[in-house]
Amino acid sequence: MAEDAPARFDPLPPGIAPIVPTPGYPSTFTHTPSQPLIRRPPGRGEITGPLALHRKLPCGEANLAEPIPGRPAVGQLIHIAGQVLDEDGRPIPDAVVELWQANAAGRYAHASDTRSAPLDPNFIGQGRVRTDAEGRYGFFTMRPGAYPVPGEAVWWRPPHLHFCVLGPASLSRLVTQMFFPGDPLNPLDHIFMAVPDAAARERLIARPLPPSEIGSGWLGYRHDILLRGRRATPVLA
Amino acid sequence: MTPLSSHTVGPFFPEAFIREGDNDLTRTTTDAPPSRRGTPIRLNGRVLREGGLPCINAILEAWQADAAGRFHHPADPEEAQADPEFLGWGRARTDAEGRYEFHTLLPGAFLDRAPHVNLLVMASGLMQPVATTLFFPEFAAANATDPVLALVPPSRRPRLFATPDNAGGYRFDIRLRGSADEETPFFED
Ligand SMILES: [Fe+2]
Repeated sequence: MAEDAPARFDPLPPGIAPIVPTPGYPSTFTHTPSQPLIRRPPGRGEITGPLALHRKLPCGEANLAEPIPGRPAVGQLIHIAGQVLDEDGRPIPDAVVELWQANAAGRYAHASDTRSAPLDPNFIGQGRVRTDAEGRYGFFTMRPGAYPVPGEAVWWRPPHLHFCVLGPASLSRLVTQMFFPGDPLNPLDHIFMAVPDAAARERLIARPLPPSEIGSGWLGYRHDILLRGRRATPVLA
Repeated sequence: MTPLSSHTVGPFFPEAFIREGDNDLTRTTTDAPPSRRGTPIRLNGRVLREGGLPCINAILEAWQADAAGRFHHPADPEEAQADPEFLGWGRARTDAEGRYEFHTLLPGAFLDRAPHVNLLVMASGLMQPVATTLFFPEFAAANATDPVLALVPPSRRPRLFATPDNAGGYRFDIRLRGSADEETPFFED
């Protein structure tokens, strides 16, 4: 990557960042800073970031669906793949992509998930990969179940995948969630709906691939992950 | 093309994603020898939410220049001279008291910037990571002319200075939400 690493970081257009604190999501009202954020022009410490982070964070866990050969996890087998891109649409190689999610019953293999839904002994639901020269990543996994958020008001999270992406600059760091098309819980989810712009919400939904392209082994989805940052100098046509 | 929206990291960020040694900025891999080109320091503190209560299971990421003020990155014209053994990046998780800890080297100054460490905090209840910067009180002259500190209202600047402890470390508490004089200043880049 090196010489052509993104060097220009413009503020996000309106409607992309979620509304905070977020209506319906009580803990955002105790965690979100109350003072206005201080606008800081990006400097050398912000447009830089750790390169070759795959040396520090081991990558390669791309098959979450069958971590032990011969013992597949329970649920609907899916393949999620796409490209990590910058705002010019250029692929970002060597990005670290972390995925974590609930199992098919909506339960996380995490000490903080104390719900009674069953754990799947063959599914941990977490993996980390490094993008290739074309910025591509991909995971085999199970379609996650919905799960309720504890609290006074009833609120169910729709099936979703959590993504953490570490790109070539501190400012391209992204923590996001991916949703599934057509789920009736999507428009009821306070986290999904916190993004004001409808087109921006649409980009958080994976695109189903035609089964005729994928075959009968699994359901395929495409999800590109666009990070902040573009070339320092716009290319003139 | 427009970047994807950010969402909360939530309460279930995998335990296995943060291993022992990930909070050590001085090693490029877990097994690599630590860089010794600088003064080793320990940064520690608590992440607190409204009411001064601990923020548990928060994820922190640190990023800083090496001891000579250089970054291993093409955006730094002196990249070639950057300390090859120093990563400058680390990740930590807060415990049940909201405590975190990083091991690093005292960063160097560069351009018009005073020595500093950039910190990113992610947590359940935070829809977007929040960014702050830790400064060191002993660099009074450099701090007085640092352009980022200058953006912060004077009454809030003390919250960006770490406090030296008596064990070769610095303490830096991060208050996510509170009154204007309690809350840590956060930046939008
Ligand atoms: Fe979740």
